[in-house]
Amino acid sequence: MTSAAVDTIEYDIRGQICPSTLLIALREINSHAPALRNGAVALLFLTTNRASTHTIPESAHNMGFYAEVTQHDGYYAIKVSGND
Amino acid sequence: MLLSPAVMLAVIGLILGLIAGFVMHRADFCIAGMFRDLFLFKSAATLRALVLYLAVAMVLFEGARLLGLLPLYPFPLLSPASLAGTLGGVLFGIGMVLAGGCVVGTLYRLGAGNRPSLVAFIGLIIGSTLYAEFHPFWKSILTATTLFSGSITIPQYLSLSPTPLVAVAVALLGALVVSWFRHGQLSRRLYAKGAMQLWQAALVLAGVSLASYLLIGMPLGITTAYAKIGAMGEQLVFPNHVAGLGFFASQPLSYRNPLTGTMLTGGPGPDLDGIALIQFPLIAGIILGGTVSALSLGEFTLGHPAPWRQYLSAAVGGILMGLASRMAPACNIWHFLGGLPILAFSSIFFLAGILPGAWLGACILTRWVVR
Repeated sequence: MTSAAVDTIEYDIRGQICPSTLLIALREINSHAPALRNGAVALLFLTTNRASTHTIPESAHNMGFYAEVTQHDGYYAIKVSGND
Repeated sequence: MLLSPAVMLAVIGLILGLIAGFVMHRADFCIAGMFRDLFLFKSAATLRALVLYLAVAMVLFEGARLLGLLPLYPFPLLSPASLAGTLGGVLFGIGMVLAGGCVVGTLYRLGAGNRPSLVAFIGLIIGSTLYAEFHPFWKSILTATTLFSGSITIPQYLSLSPTPLVAVAVALLGALVVSWFRHGQLSRRLYAKGAMQLWQAALVLAGVSLASYLLIGMPLGITTAYAKIGAMGEQLVFPNHVAGLGFFASQPLSYRNPLTGTMLTGGPGPDLDGIALIQFPLIAGIILGGTVSALSLGEFTLGHPAPWRQYLSAAVGGILMGLASRMAPACNIWHFLGGLPILAFSSIFFLAGILPGAWLGACILTRWVVR
């Protein structure tokens, strides 16, 4: 885990077995929920798991957060934040 | 004839595998995940696609049978129901969750470059090969716990035409599918490049299964080939031991291929026989399908290692699936994509086992693997 920016925490979970990506994302979204809500922090999940590109945004939306998915060279980045 | 029967069957298997692997990768049609998420996330969202598959496959298989296109009904290698087979289903359920994919999910993900899937693939071969060591004992348990007088399907046992029973099953499953469709629960918002909806993949796979049944003579099946690959490897090191194992000497496959009229025989032993002809191209096709899909999307990558716990989990899961797919006997693809649509007892018993197995697997996964 590294801090890519002051307010963005990056999780490099590429190459992991299904469903660890979603489990890790849910755990981190829950543990950072207050900071996400007040806009102090955003979470960035890097994944090679195609299913998590819709399961993480779905879960984030259900919890009242926003999610943005972008494709990079061989992986996806899913940014979860308290606002769009 | 331009192609020999053997080449023709191999090409058909490769093409069917390519289509299945490509589509499964695009939709991430993960049967292991469908059952796992039922317990892990209390979500049946992905399992709906399997229900749709079953309803469509039932109609296609029964329609083909009524048209006289399925001379082999029930298809070859389908066993009668056994209580011990349910235990195989439980072990398979645990294994597929720990491995992060079933016997086919492992293949298309391996084709896309996923490292834990390579470990699970090797585990599958090891587990399938280990089964040979206790095959006589397990076979006696399977025989002793065989039910329904050895009948293969429900219609057979009841001495009924399959049509009314299939019609009832299709009506029940179809009602669920229609309800989900009306509530917009069959589609999800997708973000991945080139993604297919699971329901779209289910329809394509139903077509692939029918094509396999019509042309090969049976729906998709690959796990005997895992034992064969293991036997080929073991024979290089312990040839006398392999020659002395009854499992590797068995020849459960013996049927006339409906397309070519060729008599095909074979088993899990190290010979290049009918099993190799049917299942090796299918395995290669599914892996290649995953590779083609991933490469065309710019997603093929070998460069991302997973935590050691996940490699260990994939290895244990693969070995368990390999063992279980011989103990059940047969795997989830064989039972769910082929056996359930013709109301096979053994497939229903396998389903009864895989549910608690997936629950146990989900418990182990969250407690010891994903930290």
